[in-house]
Amino acid sequence: MTTETENKEIENSIRDNAKKLLNEKEVDVIIGYSEGTVPLTSAPIIIRKEEDVDKLIWNNLCYINLARYLAPLMPQLCNSEGNPLKIGIVSKGCVGRAVNLLAAEKQVDLESVKMIGINCNGNVNRSRIDLEIGEKEILDVSISGDDIIVKGRDWEQKFPYDQYINELCKVCQVKSPSATGKTCVGECQELDSIHDEFTDVIEYDSKSTEEKWEYIKEMLEPCTLCYSCRQACPVCYCNLCFVDQNLPVWFGKTTQLPDIIVFHLIRAFHLAGRCVACGACSSVCPVGIDLNKITRKLEEIVKKRYDFTSGLNAEIVPPMMNFSMEDTEEFMLEED
Amino acid sequence: MEQKILKKDEIGKLYNELASEYNFYAPIKKKGNISFEKIEKPEDILLDYLNSKIPPKSILFPQMEVLFEYTLDEKDVEITDRQDLDQKILIFGIRPCDAYSFELFANFFSSHGNWKDEIYLKKKENTTLIGIGCNTPRTTCFCTSVKGNPFNKENMDVFLTDLGEKYLVEGISDKGKEIVKKLSWLSKASDSDLKKSKELAKQAEESITSKIDSETIVKNLETSFEHPIWEEISESCIGCGSCSYMCPTCTCFDVIDETDHYNNRGRRIRIWDTCQSCLYTMETSGHNPRDTKIQRCRNRIMHKFSYYPTNYELLGCVGCGRCISVCPANNDILTILNKIEKIEKEEDEKVVA
Amino acid sequence: MPNPYIPYLTRVKSVITENKVNDIKTIELEFKKEEEYKKFDYIPGQFAEISLIGKGECPIGIASSPTEEGTIKFTIKKMGTVTSGFHGSEVGDIIGVRGPCGNGWPIEDMKGKNIVVIGGGFAYSTLRSLIIYLLDERYRKDYGDITTIYGNRDSGEVLYKDLLEEWEKRDDINVVLTIDREEEGWTREVGFVATIVKKVAPSPENAVAIICGPPIMIRTAVAELVELGWKEEDLLNSLEARMKCGIGKCGRCNIGPKFICTDGPVFSLAELKKLPDEY
Repeated sequence: MTTETENKEIENSIRDNAKKLLNEKEVDVIIGYSEGTVPLTSAPIIIRKEEDVDKLIWNNLCYINLARYLAPLMPQLCNSEGNPLKIGIVSKGCVGRAVNLLAAEKQVDLESVKMIGINCNGNVNRSRIDLEIGEKEILDVSISGDDIIVKGRDWEQKFPYDQYINELCKVCQVKSPSATGKTCVGECQELDSIHDEFTDVIEYDSKSTEEKWEYIKEMLEPCTLCYSCRQACPVCYCNLCFVDQNLPVWFGKTTQLPDIIVFHLIRAFHLAGRCVACGACSSVCPVGIDLNKITRKLEEIVKKRYDFTSGLNAEIVPPMMNFSMEDTEEFMLEED
Repeated sequence: MEQKILKKDEIGKLYNELASEYNFYAPIKKKGNISFEKIEKPEDILLDYLNSKIPPKSILFPQMEVLFEYTLDEKDVEITDRQDLDQKILIFGIRPCDAYSFELFANFFSSHGNWKDEIYLKKKENTTLIGIGCNTPRTTCFCTSVKGNPFNKENMDVFLTDLGEKYLVEGISDKGKEIVKKLSWLSKASDSDLKKSKELAKQAEESITSKIDSETIVKNLETSFEHPIWEEISESCIGCGSCSYMCPTCTCFDVIDETDHYNNRGRRIRIWDTCQSCLYTMETSGHNPRDTKIQRCRNRIMHKFSYYPTNYELLGCVGCGRCISVCPANNDILTILNKIEKIEKEEDEKVVA
Repeated sequence: MPNPYIPYLTRVKSVITENKVNDIKTIELEFKKEEEYKKFDYIPGQFAEISLIGKGECPIGIASSPTEEGTIKFTIKKMGTVTSGFHGSEVGDIIGVRGPCGNGWPIEDMKGKNIVVIGGGFAYSTLRSLIIYLLDERYRKDYGDITTIYGNRDSGEVLYKDLLEEWEKRDDINVVLTIDREEEGWTREVGFVATIVKKVAPSPENAVAIICGPPIMIRTAVAELVELGWKEEDLLNSLEARMKCGIGKCGRCNIGPKFICTDGPVFSLAELKKLPDEY
């Protein structure tokens, strides 16, 4: 099956399941993706009526993690008394992981959420395509067969799909949500753990400490501290982010390199063991920084130490959010 | 207004002559994005670009700016004002929409109350703009709907038109005409050059397909503050603020004191801020007048298309389309404005039926 | 023109605790430079951005009246980092002052009218400034009857006790003080401000009413006044908001097209009704 035919199948399954859920009143609203108004985007959409299900699409540009809208729960997903509606959420694997994680951290009540599971086939790497096209305006992006077709005013370029998806999508091990039949319709699976070689971290690991530091500095330098990454991240839901606290002030908010690095490194540590590898942070960055290079390294460390992968189970609290007297503490004493 | 010709390989010559007198800023490619930077090597200048990611407002209104510096000792404080506001700045290759945004900035910073923002205004006084027309506006551009034009020369000092292998150079303001005179080695433009530039201007204007009816929008917004449409409009917004940071007319900022306690000195700085941030209006008591996303999204649109016209009879948007390209949730401002345009009409239809 | 973000430097002359629980203090400031004091020409109702250089800045209403020459006073409640810093300041410390900001009470338009000044709790500071100004022998004859109704949770919260006692003795101002609940030793009125407003029933005839205090007090007191026949353009409020620059540049204190720091903070109820409901 080509990517194009896969997409059609996924799209049809989303629409069929959405229609069924709305028809049988199992959900009040469905949140999914719709056609974007500019190339290389998709627009999250909330539908409430069966006749609107054809607005739901799947086009490999569905990079926003929809669980983002669940915590904090946005007013459009609540009824007039402020209680959550029954929400259907179009879930690729990482969206499912985020919903599970939010449930484990008691931010989402799984009773009011129904995942419409799909077997995700990846998302296009927007910044890479942008970079390769350069200063020509992209007017249309579509999938044909196993190629990404990018069209401009008087030019066309083809990119092989499996090479031009997000780096995270290339190594993804959880393509559909890990959830049981009650919480999930469509493509779902039950996973206890995954086998991840972390091949994408090998290159970073092979650098010396000085090289790693230079690499991080160079990568983060263009950051404008717009906080899009934090806003797009489904597991960043603190009411008062550490950035905004002023008793005490944790770090400066200028775009000088020390302030930028402190923000990203502290945020990465707040995500350790919780990141669901959806890649939304990298996809939304307006200057194209691939933040997943840092988050993947932290995920590797958590897997090695605790054999834990976030979001496979809606009960287990991530290791860094949890403490028990039986926890081994040898890492505090050993040298790394 | 005498027109001259600048050949594409003469840009380096122009740079060398002007860089001695001015801090020379122009678009370059930096880590894959176009950005306006201070030029060290003229070969880096890239004029064949769509538009910069971060608007050139960052040159006169940087993301972080020092308001004043201070030293602290036992029982006294000494304040040092900015000393560098007299430096001459030249921005080369700026688009008409961005040049117009500088005027809007200057207008805002000199209105309201008894104080003007001297820091910005002094810098603006010492700034010269050499702009370039947009031969191929983007599909996200809509400057013609907000009193702009891809070949608007009004807010420029010198205006360039890309004729292919060369640029047509026109001095617009007195400052600009002086500069053109100074660059005496520029060759004279021919009639066919002028004819081509007029054709390109006409073509560019006609190629802009994204249109909105700003008059109707301003009128509809006067009575739409409590309209339920804002719930729909703000649905997909994730509250990141990229739209404000990349917007050439957004002026909001935060003020912070940064103190180096070990050396008893510090500075009061201002940094970009956005009304989309959930803490933007949070008061110390805990009361937050705009604590929902719906209110914040509404404020941004109202500010640009309702409060601005009320206060200055100008629109607070230059139609550059950066917010459209950068929004991660594709909350397209043109879609929003089209919805607002249709508000009254729907109600009229209801009445007739 | 000078950099509008640079404050005048002043020294703390005195710090007085105003209330029993010790979280409201009045600080008195002396300008370091005489010519800067002369430039700081203010009217009652205006505010200033005062800062602890190195900590931060906040907008505080000016409590002193321009008729009290030589120094300026601010009454500050301890709420956050900067205000706590002010509370901890000692005589001789440097405090930065930027201003005066805002439009102030319309003392010109109020001439020849009766004035009712209604305050609740800690919001009385700019009202102090106004009343001292109105009672000054140079200006008293320009205004009609003056009534002030000032309510607090309990007697420990009443600000400017000495001043109020002096005013009570005067015959050119009617002072009505009230606390929420009965208290031993309190001989004056008891009841919420709105109830006392109803009791005093000030006449709307050729008069202006100023209402300052917590939102619920304002709402209930205004409701009573409207019942008594007061028109919305004669009812004045002073609004608060998060501010950073105080001079209409940073953009955050806007209500609709108006900025609270330059078009306000004083607005009549009629003006507020025309603005969007977000304050």
